[in-house]
Amino acid sequence: MAVATPAPEQAAGPGGRRAEGDPGKRTLSVFKASPATYAVLLVVSALFFVPFVLMISISLASDQTSAQNAFTVLPTEFEWSNFTAVFTATGLPVGRFVLNSVLIATLSAVGQVLSSSLVGYAFARLRAPGKGVMFIIVLATMMIPAQITMIPQFLLFKELGWVNTYLPLIIPNFFTNAFNVFLVRQFVSRISGELDEAAQMDGLGYFGVYRRIILPMMWPILTAIAIFTLTFAWGDFMGPLIYLNSEESMPLALGLQYMTSTSNAMQLPPWNLVMVGSIILTLPMIAIYYLGQKYLYEMNLQGGSAGVK
Amino acid sequence: MTTTVDEAPGAARPARRAGRRRTKMSPRRRKEALYFWLFISPWLIGFVGFLLGPMIASVYISLTEWDSFTPPEWVGLENYAKALTEDPVFWKALWNTFYFAAISVPLGLVIGVWLANLLNKQVKGRKLFRTFIYLPTLVPLVATAMVFKMVLAPSGPLNDLLGWVGIDGPEWLLSATWIKPALIILSVWGAGGATVLLLSAMNGIPRELYEAAEIDGASPWRQFWAVTFPQITPVIFFNLIMGLIGAFQIFSQVYILAPGGNVGGPDNASQMMVTLLFQEAFSFYHFGYASAVAWLLFIVILVFTLIAFRTARKWVFYETEVR
Repeated sequence: MAVATPAPEQAAGPGGRRAEGDPGKRTLSVFKASPATYAVLLVVSALFFVPFVLMISISLASDQTSAQNAFTVLPTEFEWSNFTAVFTATGLPVGRFVLNSVLIATLSAVGQVLSSSLVGYAFARLRAPGKGVMFIIVLATMMIPAQITMIPQFLLFKELGWVNTYLPLIIPNFFTNAFNVFLVRQFVSRISGELDEAAQMDGLGYFGVYRRIILPMMWPILTAIAIFTLTFAWGDFMGPLIYLNSEESMPLALGLQYMTSTSNAMQLPPWNLVMVGSIILTLPMIAIYYLGQKYLYEMNLQGGSAGVK
Repeated sequence: MTTTVDEAPGAARPARRAGRRRTKMSPRRRKEALYFWLFISPWLIGFVGFLLGPMIASVYISLTEWDSFTPPEWVGLENYAKALTEDPVFWKALWNTFYFAAISVPLGLVIGVWLANLLNKQVKGRKLFRTFIYLPTLVPLVATAMVFKMVLAPSGPLNDLLGWVGIDGPEWLLSATWIKPALIILSVWGAGGATVLLLSAMNGIPRELYEAAEIDGASPWRQFWAVTFPQITPVIFFNLIMGLIGAFQIFSQVYILAPGGNVGGPDNASQMMVTLLFQEAFSFYHFGYASAVAWLLFIVILVFTLIAFRTARKWVFYETEVR
């Protein structure tokens, strides 16, 4: 591979990194951990973890506890049946919410991967008059906040009859976005051109080079883009809020909000089930992150350093 | 940005052919150019259809009064004038957004740098600490907001906790004073994202710099400010810009945390630029006014980004400058 991919552990490793593998060097004073270091890290980690503990303990609380809002920080009840009740007892199609989320997130990721790989390849490899200007436009569009286009896009999709369908959430992904084009273009630029030169000599066309040579080498960055898109689409709230208004079509992120708002003002939402829903919303994101950690890290590095300089 | 546009095309290829100077392109070059446009067509179509077109439409809509059911009525700059001079909610939303961005972004960065610096030491169980600190950033915003809405309820766990130590907790989300601090606490919970980026930047700092500083007798505190900090300023700057842009666009948390479906919160205390825009557009069908608010938001973001880039020269350190 043309690009060295530092593993996250390695890259975010110890400050006195070289001292560890090399016993000849002592730890510098700046890297010495004092008891205060541990104290702060322990307190902060605990504070950061409290919401997770609460999420879990509330998700295991009984309906009575939930109705009285009498939750404890550490779980005292273990109503595992909540994890099935969330699908049946809320009066909302929660199973459908999950399916909708999966569908929207997957198709969005497919769209971004396909389109950004094509466009990024062209910007990295093909020569054409006007390309420089086009790339400046790509970079410039990164600065336009989504709110500017939100209203006209809504009116456009309404005209097309797409309101209350998934199309407004999925279709734009097939036309890529500037950030992903930039990432792919940077990635491909660092792949040596010798291979596609040779392939072209052998009579492979531009699409052939893309399909056979470059695409197979692009998968680290495309995985990162897929993860990024999945995460965004899975957690997106505003898009579904604007476009989807029937219960059947809602993704989980919006459905959860719906679950807390259906009860009238005097009545408390079924917090135990809402927390089960929040856990269902959270777990896939943690799983995806741990599976794709190193690709994400690579993208952070590229996006990060490229964004600053 | 160092990414120069003209670096790419020839980079992978050998010598540029003399034919480049010719006004007429060779058939091969013409074919290559054709493929270029073909390949970028998904982006190009998206750019025209979902960005440029809507942007132009947005300018036009912002100059009209339009509910999307009756024909738009041209009003010139009236929507902008209304926002800036007549609508007290606009100024409140602008102030709230400033308040949120001005506290949450620097606070998140300070905590991020602090934690990264601690994790950069030789700590046992670093990986575990890092996981605990990073985990919150993986939680979808909606789930985070749900937990915080629960935690911050008047008789919720946080006030129970405060009650034990004898503090009569505020009503958080129902109180005009406390809803913004509540939103800031929620955003600081995600400081671990910056921590991880900063940590990897700290890791790239050559050990020799610290060794030299140590020989000169610099204290760890001094070494942090003289060696670590300058070296991580590019990453701090990147996080500052991204954080500012994100903070000015805050929406979902506010929408979910604001009590009883009242997007603005108690006495509009949590009304932000984007919640105002959303409310005007999708609750009241004031598409003209909402579009004007969107452009004002764009200008605010642009001004702050430019200010940040302006000041960057004074405090962001790039090694390439010294060489």
